[in-house]
Amino acid sequence: MRSRTVALVVLLLPMASPPHARAQGPPPATRLEGDWVRIDPDGAGSFGGLGASIPPAQLLPGVTAGGARGGGRGGGGRGGRGAAPAAPSTGPNPEGVPYIVVAQPCAGGLGGRSNGALLVNPDSGGVHFVEHKDEVIFAGERGGVRHFYLDRRSHPSPWTPTPAGHSVGRYEDKTLVVETVGMIAGGVPGGGVRTPETRLLERFEVSPDGQRLTITYTWDDPKVYQKPHVYRYYFERSPMMNSGGTPVSYALEEWCDAGDPVEKQSIVPPKQIIKK
Amino acid sequence: MRACVLVLVSLAAASTMRAGSAAQEAPAPRDISGFWELNFDGRQVPRANLLPAVTRAKIDARAKGDAYAIRWCNLLGLPFVMDPGRPLDIRQGATAVIIVPENASAPRYLYLNRTAHVSEDIFDPSTNGDSIARWDGDTLVVDTAGFHGERGITTIPGGGFRTEKSRLVERYRLVKDGAILSVTFTWTDPTVFRTPHSYEYRYHRLPATYEPRQWLPCDPYDEERARFLEPPGAARPAGRAISKE
Repeated sequence: MRSRTVALVVLLLPMASPPHARAQGPPPATRLEGDWVRIDPDGAGSFGGLGASIPPAQLLPGVTAGGARGGGRGGGGRGGRGAAPAAPSTGPNPEGVPYIVVAQPCAGGLGGRSNGALLVNPDSGGVHFVEHKDEVIFAGERGGVRHFYLDRRSHPSPWTPTPAGHSVGRYEDKTLVVETVGMIAGGVPGGGVRTPETRLLERFEVSPDGQRLTITYTWDDPKVYQKPHVYRYYFERSPMMNSGGTPVSYALEEWCDAGDPVEKQSIVPPKQIIKK
Repeated sequence: MRACVLVLVSLAAASTMRAGSAAQEAPAPRDISGFWELNFDGRQVPRANLLPAVTRAKIDARAKGDAYAIRWCNLLGLPFVMDPGRPLDIRQGATAVIIVPENASAPRYLYLNRTAHVSEDIFDPSTNGDSIARWDGDTLVVDTAGFHGERGITTIPGGGFRTEKSRLVERYRLVKDGAILSVTFTWTDPTVFRTPHSYEYRYHRLPATYEPRQWLPCDPYDEERARFLEPPGAARPAGRAISKE
């Protein structure tokens, strides 16, 4: 009898632990927290190829595709560092005249360094998560932060649309599920479209070995899509670096100085040697 | 029967503990997470004791460098990030604490999962440096090295400026039952300070329901903004090459 009682009390003890201690999310091995980089699991070999692997969005008749087929910046390349030149040169530049590849480097747009928009569909820059019981912070080394509130707050109403929208999340077993609304209108990878009313559901799933992250995106809007637009991005833990014999991973700080003319150019044609 | 009574008592105790912790909303003693705002009366900053080598010319050059960083929307880094004019969102995870300002500066990561700085051989100096953190009783002690000596706003409150040789030790402590976050900053730098330079900020905890605001725009190509920051006749903010000592 006594041992049965003890067992019952032991079983009940976890209920007495503070709520935050039980709300920290999944166990360490499958934690989202840490540093990740996007990968190309199918060997597409290019950002264009990565974008092309996204199934095309099924838009309602009359809805114009917003993003590039490959997803524009979200589905593809590094982007976000600034605008392309207005009128690219059609011929080779004279000696000493640099090829301008970015007309306005570092602008980032959307209030500077993308204001979190770049993290809706991350590019090749490293991304980082810090998990707390009330909020998960999703940050990128290329700038911007998204806030995923886990404290059961509602989406504010009214809400002025923002680049990253408003996100609330919850854990379903080991998966972080985040719902976002209130983003500014724009394109979505796979030729999709979003409006401030469009609902994005993201599922952040870490593999059992803790080394692979899959984000499943589901865009849903009855005024835009015939059916929810679903695709996935894949990530791996950031490679560990050797720091004096100790493997470390940490968030890098990407520097970009808009006042530095070098930021605009990639190549300055060298002096040409013409053999006669 | 005795078992049933014990179970009921346990259930009641468990429920009381849960209700109590929920009702008090008391922050965990070793968790500085929350939204924090620095009010106008939250700074206790004495004058720094600077080395004679820190001349007026050097200080002026640094001020020009700071103006350049603002003009071109650079990452501003420490110490600015801790007093950015808007609330900070601080979240403590299992491996790191992240400090997120409400403007286009990079967040800070205070690593709880290592006790040594990243080797200088592989770490690129940055505006926020490399921060490692540990709990000492109820105080989170954060040690930061690996600063970039030029980038961002380098001027330090009270005098002096950040260089590659700067080291910052911060002590974070909750006071007033978690309503206030006290942060003591201590800068040392053999090229700037005669003695360690310490000052304290006290942040007020904002309601847990606070919604961080999206960043205000910082467009380095906004001509109107540029004219405001560089009025006619005013000295143009120096580029980084000029600000070097």
